[in-house]
Amino acid sequence: MDQKRHSRKTITEDGRLMLAKSEQDGVETVWDRLEAQQPHCGYCELGLSCRICAMGPCRIDPFGEGPQQGVCGADADIIVARNLGRMIASGAASHSDHGRDLVEVLEAVARGASPGYAIGDEDKLRRVAAEYGVETEGREVLSVAGDLARAMQEDYGTRLSRLGLLSRVPEQRQALWDRLGITPRGIDRETSEMMHRTHMGVDNDWQNLLLQALRNALSDGWGGSMIATEVSDILFGTPQPVSSRINLGVIQEDQVNIAVHGHNPIVSETIMRACRDEDLLQKARDRGAAGINLVGLCCTGNELLMRHGIPMAGNHLMTELVLVTGAMEMMLVDYQCIMPSLGRIAPCYHTRMISTSDKAKFPGMEHREFHSDNAAELARELVEQAVDNFGKRNPDKVSIPSQPVDLVGGFSVESVLQALGGSLDPLLEAIKSGKIRGAAGVVGCNNPKIRHDLGHTVLTSRLIENDVLVLDTGCAAVANAKHGLERAEAAERAGPGLKEVCSSLGIPPVLHFGSCVDNVRILVLAAELAKALSQDISALPLAGAAPEWYSEKAVSIGAYCVASGIDTVLGPTPPVTGSMNVTGLLTQGLEDILGARFAVEPDPEEAARWMLSRIEGRRKGLGLDSRQV
Amino acid sequence: MRQVVVHPERCVGCMQCMAACAAAHSQSGFLAAAIRENPLPAPRVHVGSGRYGEGFPNRCRHCDPAPCMTACLPGAIYRDRILNTVLIDPSRCINCASCAMACPFGVIRYHRDPWVSPNRAVAVKCDNCVHRQTQGLIPACAEVCKSGALTFEEPEGAMKRRTDEMARRTAGYVEQERIGEEAPGFMLLRQLKKRAIQLTE
Amino acid sequence: MRHLILGSGIAGLQAARAIRSTQPEAQITMLGREAEPPYARPMISQLLEGAVEPIHLDLGLPPDVRLISEDEAVSVHAAERTVATLQGRRLAYDRLLVATGADPRGIRAENTDLENIHFMRTKAQVREMLRALPQSRRALVLGGGLVGFKAAYGFLRQGLDVTMLIRSEYPLSQQVDPTAGKLVRDKLEENGLGVLVGKDVARFEEDGAGRVWRAQLTDGSVLDCDVAVIGKGVLPVTGFLEGSGVDVDLGILVDEQMRTSARDVFAAGDVAEHFDLARDERWVNAIWPEAADQGRIAGLNMAGVPARYPGSLSRNTIRIFDMDLTTCGLVNPPEDAGFETVQDGDAKKGTFRRLVFSGDRLVGAACVNRIEQAGVLRALIAGRAPVPCPKKDLLREDVHPAGLFPFFP
Repeated sequence: MDQKRHSRKTITEDGRLMLAKSEQDGVETVWDRLEAQQPHCGYCELGLSCRICAMGPCRIDPFGEGPQQGVCGADADIIVARNLGRMIASGAASHSDHGRDLVEVLEAVARGASPGYAIGDEDKLRRVAAEYGVETEGREVLSVAGDLARAMQEDYGTRLSRLGLLSRVPEQRQALWDRLGITPRGIDRETSEMMHRTHMGVDNDWQNLLLQALRNALSDGWGGSMIATEVSDILFGTPQPVSSRINLGVIQEDQVNIAVHGHNPIVSETIMRACRDEDLLQKARDRGAAGINLVGLCCTGNELLMRHGIPMAGNHLMTELVLVTGAMEMMLVDYQCIMPSLGRIAPCYHTRMISTSDKAKFPGMEHREFHSDNAAELARELVEQAVDNFGKRNPDKVSIPSQPVDLVGGFSVESVLQALGGSLDPLLEAIKSGKIRGAAGVVGCNNPKIRHDLGHTVLTSRLIENDVLVLDTGCAAVANAKHGLERAEAAERAGPGLKEVCSSLGIPPVLHFGSCVDNVRILVLAAELAKALSQDISALPLAGAAPEWYSEKAVSIGAYCVASGIDTVLGPTPPVTGSMNVTGLLTQGLEDILGARFAVEPDPEEAARWMLSRIEGRRKGLGLDSRQV
Repeated sequence: MRQVVVHPERCVGCMQCMAACAAAHSQSGFLAAAIRENPLPAPRVHVGSGRYGEGFPNRCRHCDPAPCMTACLPGAIYRDRILNTVLIDPSRCINCASCAMACPFGVIRYHRDPWVSPNRAVAVKCDNCVHRQTQGLIPACAEVCKSGALTFEEPEGAMKRRTDEMARRTAGYVEQERIGEEAPGFMLLRQLKKRAIQLTE
Repeated sequence: MRHLILGSGIAGLQAARAIRSTQPEAQITMLGREAEPPYARPMISQLLEGAVEPIHLDLGLPPDVRLISEDEAVSVHAAERTVATLQGRRLAYDRLLVATGADPRGIRAENTDLENIHFMRTKAQVREMLRALPQSRRALVLGGGLVGFKAAYGFLRQGLDVTMLIRSEYPLSQQVDPTAGKLVRDKLEENGLGVLVGKDVARFEEDGAGRVWRAQLTDGSVLDCDVAVIGKGVLPVTGFLEGSGVDVDLGILVDEQMRTSARDVFAAGDVAEHFDLARDERWVNAIWPEAADQGRIAGLNMAGVPARYPGSLSRNTIRIFDMDLTTCGLVNPPEDAGFETVQDGDAKKGTFRRLVFSGDRLVGAACVNRIEQAGVLRALIAGRAPVPCPKKDLLREDVHPAGLFPFFP
């Protein structure tokens, strides 16, 4: 068949090969379904359709002749703002719920009620507990853990006037939020209020709605997501630089292949331990397999990679294609970003699909619920079943493409500080001297509307060519790693200044910062840099990008980045252009209010140019040398 | 005489016209019940996607002369001169699909249809909602279109508007942006979508 | 104005309709060889199949058209403006339309005049086949072209054993490429058709009562058959034009207004040879929709309304069992002649598309299944303009006018 067609869908070799195989095997992919949806409804793309109440559903005619208000009287500005607010509420809720589940495990560990989980980083536990005002001196680890868990649970509630970790935010920024009235008070509270305000007949001031949306996003960034990352580090260990491999080539023909997909390390960590169980390994060998090969997908894969170097099979648009290799004995999923199509594709092969979260069931998957009290046992049982499934592989349907690419992962704020020798000074020096112009966060998902991985890799390449250090997470990090950008040799592709710094520190020019909740690591680093310079975050030569985003979580992330003072450029267009007022506020007005703004640019070359010019502009503001872009 | 006029630049791709057309050619006549009928009613207008994701309502033009009429073997296709509508007589249609090849717009479909032929597949196409017009209603697609992509008007009126628009565009002070002034958000969305798609080509 | 139309097929009928609608007072005479008034000739295969009744084929006549049946022209005297007929009539005209169609080609075999050996061109011939049907068990079809193919299909639908003798590997080799052709052959064989390649009939043998009984093939082998259809192509009926001053190649040469080289003499339909829009040369495309179009345009010009016929295009739409096939233009271009072929299929949906390009121009298209929008491709071929979009965009079965070009900046 026509290979060129698949090159238009993805820049990756393993993706192209599996797309061709999916055609042969008669498997429908996300790209097929995108085409079938064309043309998308323009009202919805503009954000001008409203389904919030039964007086509707309503839409606004962008051409001015049809209805200009919904039945309730909401105009385009209100409808667009309400829709955007609900996207952020959903995204923030997703991250925050993920954090909540981790806090519950922490609390259960403190009670001794969850075998299979333990405190992985005692130092971090004490440090974070201290931030919450929990007494740590001379106390037992588990009792500190219990108090910390309860303090974090308080963050989720309704009794506080500000979240516990806001002390990490530079004072200027905190003061700005206070002035604007967007200091996040409680994690669930902000989401709940967003849902309230977007009910018919509540908040009908589009700017007011957007301010609450920003506050809701901040309750995610400095709240739910941050708690998720910190508790994950506490339970499973803070990431240190680790080598690993990536792309479909990590699947092994002679081993039992198990993939974990979804988000929460609560599940993937226990699977990992089960895969290392000597009894099960022996069973595998008895079955003729050389071993048990655990591979990761999406964020939960990133969590395992960051902490243990577990190899990564792929990002969002690869999740169906990993099944198409025909070599997966089992895929276990928990929640978020898991396409319901997976359970319909697996029967074309021998793969067993297991859903593990009571919150997330899927068609065609067997449901085996994980809880902190049964996790270890259930993990072993499922891995054993995967081993049993090895014999059912159809060798005629197996095709594992590509050689895997090496990468270095495991960059947390802690490990970066270590790499820098214990202080941020070397990094600050490099920025001041202009060897490193600044830093950029390249984050976010894949979207079949953008050629797979093109947005991330082109943008990242341009940035490092221009001496900007790139920190990446999520699907973006996977894209860049597959492209060879997350290994030491990639310094060759960087500009002279960045190359020099990376070579001397022995780090790649693109640092894998983790999963999507780990975007908060970038926030924390930004805050620490700002504090070191006694500046606000918006003064720093930083910029953010989500070149291929698709999810509501990404909208929340983008919003909390901008609200924290970091300019952010988006690849796909968000559904806001139905209101030029909202669009104008997001892409221009926010700069006056928050010191940072959004941009929308589908072309990654142009997006890079924008980010570079913003970074150089910030340098100028700090009195540093700045280049023309 | 008023006719359905298509303004493709206004189509947002919502496909309401298809739903309304199908419902108007169902046994029950309204959408909620129409989706439960057997055979299912089918739209006679088809919203397709342009190269950059633009919507386009593809509708029978009731051509004169009509290529489908010329190509029809049993002479099942004829013209109603009063409503200037090209119609298919299902009792004469032999479902040979010769008209498929003739229609340059690809608007004819072949299936069992609750409105014209519930038991046997025949050629089906837009009938200008003749049954509605005789009751003083307008064609269903034009009635439901909220963005002005399908209107029911004198073609001369639509052409005059277009002439005036052309005049304004060429009268010196008009730049590209001026066209976008009418719906700046929609134009912006269009441009961004086009760019994103061009990057995949 | 006296209009004389030779032939009662669709070209002649459309001409009569066009003349009648523009010149209500004109005198129109139509001369038809068959006993039947004008009917839809392609539907005779549905008649054979048993899917329609004879009355469904009738097309009627426009008002005040004098139809002379069972007679045909034997000579044309252009200077005198008269036509002499077989039955001894002398018909005068102001405008003459030659729409005498094309007759089936014969074959070089013995005893083709036995009973139950037929060409399949007229309603009467199919009537004969249907009459003998109750006694027919084994059908032999010579030729894998459209007629042979439709005869075979019709017999299969009527429950006979059918064997088809073809020259190429698959039927419809003039119309389709090997891939689509194989799909057609597989579909027919799936449904009981026997196909023999590269064989011809040397002689037919009778059963002693004058009816065909067996066929002896050129390789010596023998096939039982009690009915046979010869479908080896058609030849334009132009013999009677000798000495008339009307230039004839394979068919009658006509210009864009369907005029021949003789004054006030027009030609249209299967007998006419015009410019093929895909092949870029003169060609006879003896198919129904072209005959209809040509007849209409000839009629308009005869009535003094200038009308232009840009050229013809071969095309066919065939529905067999649960498979649809439609072809248009130059689907089987000669190799190494600079044509580019783009094709694709979706095994799951059962669709196949083959497109032939000459530079930027689409010149041929073959579509298997989901054919309802194939007309968009035909219009592109007929339009002869450079294709306005990436070529592979035309492979979609929902190829839509919108998808062909960006219609605003």
